[in-house]
Amino acid sequence: MQGGSSGIGYGLKYQARCISDVKADTDYTSFLTGTLSLKEENEVHLLRLSSGGSELICEGLFSHPNEIWDLASCPFDQRIFSTVFSTGESFGAAIWQIPELYGQLNSPQLERVASLDAHVGKINCVLWWPSGRCDKLISMDEQNIFLWSLACSNKSAEVLSKDSAGMLHSLSGGAWDPHDVNAVAATGESSVQFWDLRTMKKVNSIERAHVRGVDYNPKREHILITAEDESGIHVWDLRKAKAPVQELPGHTHWTWAVKCNPEYDGLILSAGTDSAVNLWYAAASSTNEKTPESLWVQHVSV
Amino acid sequence: MATEAAPMDEKAKRMRDLLSSFYTPDPSISTPTSSISTSFDNINGPSFDADQYMDLMIKKSNLDVLLQRHVQMAAEIKNLDTDLQMLVYENYNKFISATDTIKRMKSNIFGMEGNMDQLLHKIMSVQSRSDGVNTSLFEKREHIEKLHRTRNLLRKVQFIYDLPARLQKCIKSEAYGDAVRFYTGAMPILKVYGDTSFKDCRRASEEAIETIIKNLQTKLFSDSESIQARAEAAVLLKQLDVPVDSLKDKLLEKLEQSLDGLQINPEEASKLAEHNVSSKDEESNNQGPAKIHEDAVRGFSEAMRAYREIFPDSEERLFKLARSLTATHFENMELYIRKRVSAADFLGIFRIIWEDVVLMDEVLPEAALSDLSAEAAQVTLKQFVARTFSHLQQDISETLLKFDINQKEVVDGEVLKVVLEASGKAVLQGTTDIFQEFRQLLDENTGIFVKMNDLLIGWIQKGFQDFFRSLESHFLVLSGKTSSSNETEGLVEGKSSEKIHAGLILVLAQLSVVIEQKVIPRIAEEITASFSGGNSQEFIPGELCRVFHAASEKLLQHYIDTRTQKISNVLRKRFKTPNWVKHKEPREVHMYVDMLLQQLEEVGKEVKQILPQGTFRKHKRSDSNGSNTTTSSRSTTLHSDKMARSNSQRARSQLFETHLAKLFKQKVEIFTKVEFTQESVVTTTVKLCLKSLQEYVRLQTFNRSGFQQIQLDIQFLKAPLKETVEDEAAIDFLLDEVIVAASERCLDVTPLEPPILDKLIQAKLAKSKEHNNNNNNNNKTTVSS
Repeated sequence: MQGGSSGIGYGLKYQARCISDVKADTDYTSFLTGTLSLKEENEVHLLRLSSGGSELICEGLFSHPNEIWDLASCPFDQRIFSTVFSTGESFGAAIWQIPELYGQLNSPQLERVASLDAHVGKINCVLWWPSGRCDKLISMDEQNIFLWSLACSNKSAEVLSKDSAGMLHSLSGGAWDPHDVNAVAATGESSVQFWDLRTMKKVNSIERAHVRGVDYNPKREHILITAEDESGIHVWDLRKAKAPVQELPGHTHWTWAVKCNPEYDGLILSAGTDSAVNLWYAAASSTNEKTPESLWVQHVSV
Repeated sequence: MATEAAPMDEKAKRMRDLLSSFYTPDPSISTPTSSISTSFDNINGPSFDADQYMDLMIKKSNLDVLLQRHVQMAAEIKNLDTDLQMLVYENYNKFISATDTIKRMKSNIFGMEGNMDQLLHKIMSVQSRSDGVNTSLFEKREHIEKLHRTRNLLRKVQFIYDLPARLQKCIKSEAYGDAVRFYTGAMPILKVYGDTSFKDCRRASEEAIETIIKNLQTKLFSDSESIQARAEAAVLLKQLDVPVDSLKDKLLEKLEQSLDGLQINPEEASKLAEHNVSSKDEESNNQGPAKIHEDAVRGFSEAMRAYREIFPDSEERLFKLARSLTATHFENMELYIRKRVSAADFLGIFRIIWEDVVLMDEVLPEAALSDLSAEAAQVTLKQFVARTFSHLQQDISETLLKFDINQKEVVDGEVLKVVLEASGKAVLQGTTDIFQEFRQLLDENTGIFVKMNDLLIGWIQKGFQDFFRSLESHFLVLSGKTSSSNETEGLVEGKSSEKIHAGLILVLAQLSVVIEQKVIPRIAEEITASFSGGNSQEFIPGELCRVFHAASEKLLQHYIDTRTQKISNVLRKRFKTPNWVKHKEPREVHMYVDMLLQQLEEVGKEVKQILPQGTFRKHKRSDSNGSNTTTSSRSTTLHSDKMARSNSQRARSQLFETHLAKLFKQKVEIFTKVEFTQESVVTTTVKLCLKSLQEYVRLQTFNRSGFQQIQLDIQFLKAPLKETVEDEAAIDFLLDEVIVAASERCLDVTPLEPPILDKLIQAKLAKSKEHNNNNNNNNKTTVSS
């Protein structure tokens, strides 16, 4: 099923690797995205879907000092977001605040709220707790996971605790359980690992090679979705994590990212390196063993 | 004449009337007609009045008439007189003869009285004499009668006295029947006089009888005796009032024990079946175990028949026995078919059991053995069908796994091809064989089978359907493509999936194609040919073909996935390990390229063994072979020219240029549908690998040297990849993409000078050639040694 060219587009000057919806913006559907350009000046764009839903409007354009590898919007304050950036040689992560706009669009500077500067290696991502106000943050590099306490008011972030996954695991990303503020999943070289943030200890793992993306089902507890390089998308029930509950074919090449629909259970959106975005419907009940179907495929020309 | 006849008649009539009135006392009765016609002028009537008649005549008639009348009357009177005279005379004659007769009689009777007196006298004397004799012999006769009675009594007494000896004799000659008859005959006497006169005698005979009972019991329980003899013994014992119930129990227990001997041992069953078959061939040699078994069962049923007659109340028990024997028969049969059994053997055993059942059924028709066994037979047959299929599946998977698919062998030898051929044959041959076996079952006309024919056809069809379905899922399991529905299965596979060799997956994929295209149509054909008109809704070849078609595609995709996964791992290591930002100047083509090519070569070799060639591959390859080197070198120079040019320009404009170039370049379809040809699979694999390579590159940041290293590696890959792949345009495109991606992620894009590039590549080629030579030499030496 190939969707027509009904999508609405928005052109960026350079390539971008990340996009985040601004959850805290309850009035509009907004997105934040950041460019990935090694040599040019990188930008963060704040986009808003026009009221008719027919257009993406640039609400703000901010210059960002380095190329952006990861960007996440704060779920409770629409003006705050985090980025992971690279200078080419080293990585950094920071929390930013969008300055008050007074009508002008001429690349105002972002205010740096705090920098998460405890990392040494390649930083992968910064996670906010998805379901509401929480003054904690998680950041991951390839070997370590940090729990930060963020104080926006006095512009500081402190490391609360950290744990090392070990040299071999080489973390690549993660997700914070919306049902449990103390549970975090991280994808690694050969497994998906789970931390309990209270003890900062690894509690569980799913042995699965080359997981690229992971997302908790916000509607149903214990349900996790993973995207893998070669073998597509899997749905897991964490209470019986030996074998996946469901299997979706995924993409022709790697499946890079998966997201659950926050409103409708069973709708899964995936993106792959075959330049396609697939929308899946995975029926919730396991008794109804219907083969999951791909509802919609949109090929993105790059 | 007529007028004359009438008075003549009248005259005769009158005569007769007159005569009859003479003989009969009452004339009024005898002549009713005349009395009716009484009138004056009727001269014959009784009321005739002559005077009145005279007066009337005189008054009425004239003289002539009177005269005429007178004459007439005178004649009549004359006639009457003569008649009367004749009558008188006749009567007188009769009277005289009667008187004579009376006279004679009188004279005869006269002498008789004296004779009679004489006779009476004689009889009287005879009687008195016989009385005399009687009285004189009476005493003697009485005596004789008495003597006779005494003699009878004596004989009886003698018999009783002789009884012990006679019984002993009977014991000796084993004529127990007679003995029992004698004893029961003597019983009443012994009962009455046993305590007095015949005490000794009774004791002795009782002793004898005891031994007889003992003997009979031993006989009853001895296995060597014929069943008939034992049954007889049982009858005798019953006559002797030995408690029968305990006997019966014992006997039935015995019978139960004998059941063990009748069971068809699963271990011996095959022997039995064999002999059964062979004895069919050569009737002379029928002392086989089958015959023995048959005899045994016959004996058993005879015994049952006998017992049934002896103990009519034991029927229930016998039923139970017969049922249990049938049940154990079928149980053993189930055990037996747990092993691999041919249909012929199965039938052999089945026939034996059926014969047994028939034998027993004759004896005990009420036990409903045939119903019971029909049910059991259905179950067994169904199991047999199911087992045969599972054996076949096992065979196939064994054939598949028999060969140790070891990395080296696969690449060098033709192991995969052998496996594919063997397993393909196993499937085709196996299914055909199995079908033949089932044909045998269907052709069998033992009573029970005929009834089950329809069922059997259904089972066979369903069996094939299920078999192919499970074979398909089995293939998926073998290939390690986990079916997520089964958790435990998933676990096992998860563990072993690392070990599953990619070649096996490819074999399975091709095998699925073989099944789809050859095996299923063939079975469908056979089924429609054999069960023409039958209900064929159980076996749906179309659906199975679809299933296997899907499976083959899935497996092929899985093969490519596993292969690319391996290569992906090589690439991952390559790109994760070094620090690309601090890369040193490239000195040679990196060795991961060798690994990549080696993997691809393996894929090529595996594919060549299994899959057919594409249609248009050959000519293209042959004509491109000659010019291939020149074109590739040309493109190299072109590319490096471009690079050299761009070298002088600013990086930004170069980026812009590549973007522009991309826009105008024809969009190359990277992800095409995989076909079942060597080229398609190899091409798809290469494409996926290059795509992965590109993605890995995009994740890194390079310094100048790092970029140059990538450039060098890609440049080197170009020639060998194009040689192996049919879609050169796509490869070119993808390789360019890698370079573009690298340049985008490079801090300082400065391509290598073409001469240096060439030099390094040549060095690599020389080195790999040398390496190959060495390898070959090594191989040669190993072969020669």
